[in-house]
Amino acid sequence: MNNQTNVKLRLSNSELWGGLIGLALGGFVIWSGLKLKLGTINDPGSGYVLFYTGILMCVFAGSIIISAITEGGPTLASRWENVRWSKPLLVIACLAAFSLALEPLGFLLASIPLMLLLLRLIDPVRWTLAILIAVMVPLGMWWVLKRLLLIQLPSGLFGIG
Amino acid sequence: MDTLANVAHGFGVALTGINLLYCFIGVFIGTLVGVLPGIGPISAMSLLLPVTLSGTPESGIIMMAGIYYGSMYGGSTTSILVNIPGEAASVVTCIDGHQMAKQGRAGPALGISAFGSFIAGTFALVALMLVAPKLASIAIAFGPAEYFSLMVLGLVVLTFLTQGSMPKALLMACIGVVLGLIGLDSITAQPRLTFGRMELIDGIGLVPVVMGLFGVAEVLLNTEQAIKRDIINAKITQLLPNKEDWQASAGPVTRGTLLGFLLGILPGGGAVVASFASYALEKRLSKTPERFGHGAIEGVAGPESANNAAAGGAFIPLMTLGIPPNVVMALLLGAFVIHGLQPGPLLITQNPGLFWGIVASMYIGNVMLLILNLPMIGMWVQLLKLPYNILFPLIILFTILGVYCSSNNVFDVYVMIAFGIIGYFMRKLGYEPAPLVLAFVLGPMLENNLRKSLILSQGDLWTFVQRPISAACLTLALLLLIAPLLPSLRKKRELVALDEGA
Repeated sequence: MNNQTNVKLRLSNSELWGGLIGLALGGFVIWSGLKLKLGTINDPGSGYVLFYTGILMCVFAGSIIISAITEGGPTLASRWENVRWSKPLLVIACLAAFSLALEPLGFLLASIPLMLLLLRLIDPVRWTLAILIAVMVPLGMWWVLKRLLLIQLPSGLFGIG
Repeated sequence: MDTLANVAHGFGVALTGINLLYCFIGVFIGTLVGVLPGIGPISAMSLLLPVTLSGTPESGIIMMAGIYYGSMYGGSTTSILVNIPGEAASVVTCIDGHQMAKQGRAGPALGISAFGSFIAGTFALVALMLVAPKLASIAIAFGPAEYFSLMVLGLVVLTFLTQGSMPKALLMACIGVVLGLIGLDSITAQPRLTFGRMELIDGIGLVPVVMGLFGVAEVLLNTEQAIKRDIINAKITQLLPNKEDWQASAGPVTRGTLLGFLLGILPGGGAVVASFASYALEKRLSKTPERFGHGAIEGVAGPESANNAAAGGAFIPLMTLGIPPNVVMALLLGAFVIHGLQPGPLLITQNPGLFWGIVASMYIGNVMLLILNLPMIGMWVQLLKLPYNILFPLIILFTILGVYCSSNNVFDVYVMIAFGIIGYFMRKLGYEPAPLVLAFVLGPMLENNLRKSLILSQGDLWTFVQRPISAACLTLALLLLIAPLLPSLRKKRELVALDEGA
């Protein structure tokens, strides 16, 4: 690793960020454990295991932070170097849009555009094939699940599906 | 004699036309999902869980079990020919299996993988038949302290074998425990970390977490790169390994079978850990460890035998104790429960037809798999040529449907998408999801047993040390935890620990 991709006490150190997130989560778990009541060692309460797990999380996160500061770690940018970072972002955006559309539109109306977008946006499949797959696969799955297996899929406000 | 009579009774059940059909469907789908990267046995089993309702309990569970052990066979094909593991237990097979294929030895690699799997699978079944009825009586001596220590050991073994820094793996395990504790406290019925959402009262579902962290995250990682699948195009000939191959593989197959079977029984073990551990063992025992990673047949024979033996061994704690040792068995437990059956010591005596029928169907399934995976290898190779830009939207759709069908709840689809995104960033920052998932499954049981032991011993922590089985498990766990602190052992761990995405 060169100096640009291996940094120590810098905000761009990805290991440092990983440790800090772990520490914050550990702190939250300790707080949740305390709020739920620890009980006693003879009769542990609902928060007992959470509290001690939170402490362990802080210890492990602390160890990650110390190692990030003393030994350094790759920068955040280097983790996405030489990859098509925009593609997973596109997939995430499609999935987020799908999750918002699933209940109001129903399975069929939400999954056909999802499939079409995924087939066209990442490594584009030719339009005719993309449309065919995007329509036929959700329709086929819907038919199998709803008609053969009698599984109710979300039909949305329009009652389609 | 009793065992033989029971096996005969089991074959009577398994050889009925409908059960043979379900067995074939199971192993066929298992091989298919094993071959296809990005969709594993967990996704397939959760997708097909509702199908089991339409038939008898025997048929449904025979099919579900077939998917599991079938995927162990199929996963190796993708690893060897494409260098992409079809499912997690075949990750290590990529390393030497694909190198062998590149050197023109794809046939022997596939052959030893199938034969090793068959031998290990058969051994595991014989052992299952002999061990399962006896284990139930021994397990009565296990108290909460033993269960707790056994689960701690399982988690530590997995974190030890995970690549990267141990604190990261341990942090993941802790997060898994916390996630597993979301929902109502099993002892006080107090809601924990539910944030006022009714959907979280019963906790987070296993299926959305697993499918998100493994299925969706894997797709996100794969889309980062224009996937150039390094498919071995040469015609695969001579599937039978030669004499030298058999000589080199005999030890690894035997050791892999025994190790895999034992790790399969342990909570936290299972096929993934077994294959990793077997690879590490073979590399450590080899006189020429430098050959590993460059096409050593031992690196294929050992792990492939181990993961199949573990798949068989994993049925023991489920069938005899009612405790699922891994995620897949947890799904199988779900299949039992929807049929109103409770696996445990009474299952064998009250439902002998079911228990022995499932065992006998596995023999038949193993033979079917050998036929499916050797003479019909060409069909699976053709399937591998399906372009990834068409495959991944299908995987996403199947995972969405799988998650939805497992609970009929849209909230679980949101959970899966969220865990997919979290899993992607975790992998990018070098945090492996396997310890998280196992801890998620074991977390509630771990807590329950810890609290029970403390209540029973009136807060005396010595209870964990005074009981020999518990003390042995905790000592071993402690040794594994401190091992990376010693420079020489740390170096060895780095050599044996393997990346899931290798």
